[in-house]
Amino acid sequence: MPTVALIGNPNTGKSSLFNALCGGQARVGNYPGVTVEHKTGRMQLGPPPLKIVELVDLPGTYSLSARSADEAVSVEVLSGEMPGLTRPDAVIVILDATNLERNLYLLSQVLELQLPTLVALNMWDRLGSEGIAIDPKMLSESLGVPVVCTSASKMIGIADLKLALSDLLSGAAKPLRSRESLACGAFPESFHRQVDELQRFLESQGCPLLRFQAERLLIDDPQAHSYRVIPRGLAAWVTQRVGQSRQELADQGVLIPLFETRARYAWIKQRVAGAIQRSPMDRKNSGSDQFDRWLTHRWFGLLFFILLMFLIFQSITWIASWPMDGINLACGWLADQVASMMAPGPLRSLLVDGVLGGIGSVLVFLPQIAILFFFIAVLEDCGYMSRAAFMMDKFMSVIGMSGKSFLPLMSSFACAIPGIMATRTIENRRDRMVTLLIAPLMSCSARWPVYVLMVSAFVPNRSYLSGWVGLQGAVLFGIMCVGALVSIPVAWLLKRFVFPGDPSTFIMELSSYKWPSLRVVIMRVWERVLSFIARAGSLIFITSVLVWAAAYFPGDHGPADKAQAELEAQESMNNPDTTKLESLREQVHRYNAQLISQSYLGRAGDWIEPIVRPLGWDGKIGIAVLASFPAREVIVATLGTIYSLGSDQDQHSQGLVDQLRAATGPDGKAVYSLATACSIMVFFALCAQCVSTLVTIRRETNSWRWPIFSFVYMTTLAYIGAWIAYSFMSRW
Amino acid sequence: MSPPWNLNAVPVEYLAPETEGVVVDLCGEEKNVHRLEELGIRCGCKIRMLCPGETCLLAIEGKKMCLRLNSTAEILVQPLTP
Repeated sequence: MPTVALIGNPNTGKSSLFNALCGGQARVGNYPGVTVEHKTGRMQLGPPPLKIVELVDLPGTYSLSARSADEAVSVEVLSGEMPGLTRPDAVIVILDATNLERNLYLLSQVLELQLPTLVALNMWDRLGSEGIAIDPKMLSESLGVPVVCTSASKMIGIADLKLALSDLLSGAAKPLRSRESLACGAFPESFHRQVDELQRFLESQGCPLLRFQAERLLIDDPQAHSYRVIPRGLAAWVTQRVGQSRQELADQGVLIPLFETRARYAWIKQRVAGAIQRSPMDRKNSGSDQFDRWLTHRWFGLLFFILLMFLIFQSITWIASWPMDGINLACGWLADQVASMMAPGPLRSLLVDGVLGGIGSVLVFLPQIAILFFFIAVLEDCGYMSRAAFMMDKFMSVIGMSGKSFLPLMSSFACAIPGIMATRTIENRRDRMVTLLIAPLMSCSARWPVYVLMVSAFVPNRSYLSGWVGLQGAVLFGIMCVGALVSIPVAWLLKRFVFPGDPSTFIMELSSYKWPSLRVVIMRVWERVLSFIARAGSLIFITSVLVWAAAYFPGDHGPADKAQAELEAQESMNNPDTTKLESLREQVHRYNAQLISQSYLGRAGDWIEPIVRPLGWDGKIGIAVLASFPAREVIVATLGTIYSLGSDQDQHSQGLVDQLRAATGPDGKAVYSLATACSIMVFFALCAQCVSTLVTIRRETNSWRWPIFSFVYMTTLAYIGAWIAYSFMSRW
Repeated sequence: MSPPWNLNAVPVEYLAPETEGVVVDLCGEEKNVHRLEELGIRCGCKIRMLCPGETCLLAIEGKKMCLRLNSTAEILVQPLTP
């Protein structure tokens, strides 16, 4: 099956074109760095017999001189060095038609890879409003490659592109690539001689390189990704040889690396001459400029950002309360139905307390997750995020970071894993490491169930300012900010002591404003909802069953089951004996309390209680927190199972919120208070409770040192933070 | 006929809001200058200042770009007269 790579500058619509060609669901977004690793999809090319082609969507890059990890992915795929992928049989280069010259810079490099190449001149529909006219036929002849005009977001030109690709793959359009026809034909002859020598030597040493790779060794900085292809044993020799070559070239007036850009732009100027016409346009004071004047204003922009976030959290608590109550009722009803169909015993307990009590408690928070992702998707797709990154650079530069770190950190509010992966767009290694290590401090959606549970149960449902500001929403916003605020001193300390160095530069292109696409927003919300349900059905299900088993065994459940059956028989009578009913309820409660304290979980709770007591927690909370180290939301399922087992069966329909409010310790005092809830929330805001995140840090840093470091520093911070929160709130 | 710009080149951050200039030189660390050129900021291109400051927002050939170069590179422009 032929493989075709899709490459282009950031924000040219690659992922939209990929989706249009493959009918796939690659994530699209209106800010740089949405795609940070290659994605593959399959498409059919006509006419019959249909040909199946594998399409590889590559991260956006301005050139093949890779500075960041995401750009390196594009170069590795095109050079055939990406493990598990063969070198592409053809390349589609997507160009932003409204900024042709700069986009052609990348094409000038891709053509030198000597692969069949096809140009998709995207955003074709916007040329008129930009006052630009392009003659695609003339451009195609001048560049020596087929050119197809497309507008991927509107599905314009997709059929033509498939047809052109089919011709390209069948060999009907062969590449015309003499060195003279390429931009590198304008490079000095002395440079080509040095490249030939380097390439020959490396080949003799068992390291054959493409000519383009050898060129990059001579042009790029020795710290660049292009040097990674050199075996360790040859690295010192290559660096020395390249140094000598550069000196020789400099003596002849060839200034590396600047001669490259100048030669390529000269080639571009020659190729587009006559094919592109621009009408004089007055872009001053456009609607976009006026928006930018306000949204990127030093103080108003910041105020707008904070207000926007605050409003989002307020509206989530308002909108989600109805569907949340509905799911809660449905889960309670289902548990009651199952309980009414089976006699008390281990199977019923497993289904009602373990499965429904655990998973049901987590699924209740699905509406909040869906609404949160709706807002995140809207912000990502409308073009606001890159403005926020620009604005934040002014503040982040104070602690030695740059606005480039802002987008991965914002992504981490949804989930730390894509956030950590998005750090690949950060060119400066020190900045990337600091961002990667503080990303898990951002309050991801897995923390939501914990926050919402505690806030709904223990923060009074009051409103202020004529009902516009709710206390619960304000507390949720505050707790979401805790991790971000703590990350500021942590980042400063890391930059000062662990990754010292000069402040990095910040260069970022801002995407255009646009109305968010409803399809993109719905797809993003759907993707997250499915992922949340999948986690509830896998990791949380297994943990719930394990926690149930630990809380159920060992112990003689016979008397408790008998008392439970009697209680249910009394309850089903038309005129039950109320005195007997009360006595049976008390008996069931006593048996359950005894059984859970004798269980493995109860014993573990006794062991852990002295450690968590300073945080205001009892053994049950300690166990639930311990069980949630693989994934944060497990705490809700664990508490659901523990309190379902430890209560009489009538409380299923009450939901976990009421069970927590009613929970009492052996001394009869309430287990939970506002101080306990704050302590739990602060602990979850700061703790590294996600195995997947730690594994991703390991993968991105290629070392176990950094996930261990993250785990230790975050858990220590969490314990100290929770203790401070409990001590402060207990006195308040 | 006089040229459409004055003859004093200034660093780009000195451009006042909404004024335009033409890039006349890029200087500083070669790798940073190379990167700026790859991004389309090169001699002869027209720049409009949208939001000045240490981190500034520029419109370059119709595309918006934010920049903070920390003295590792300098973009010299000749302001265009209104």
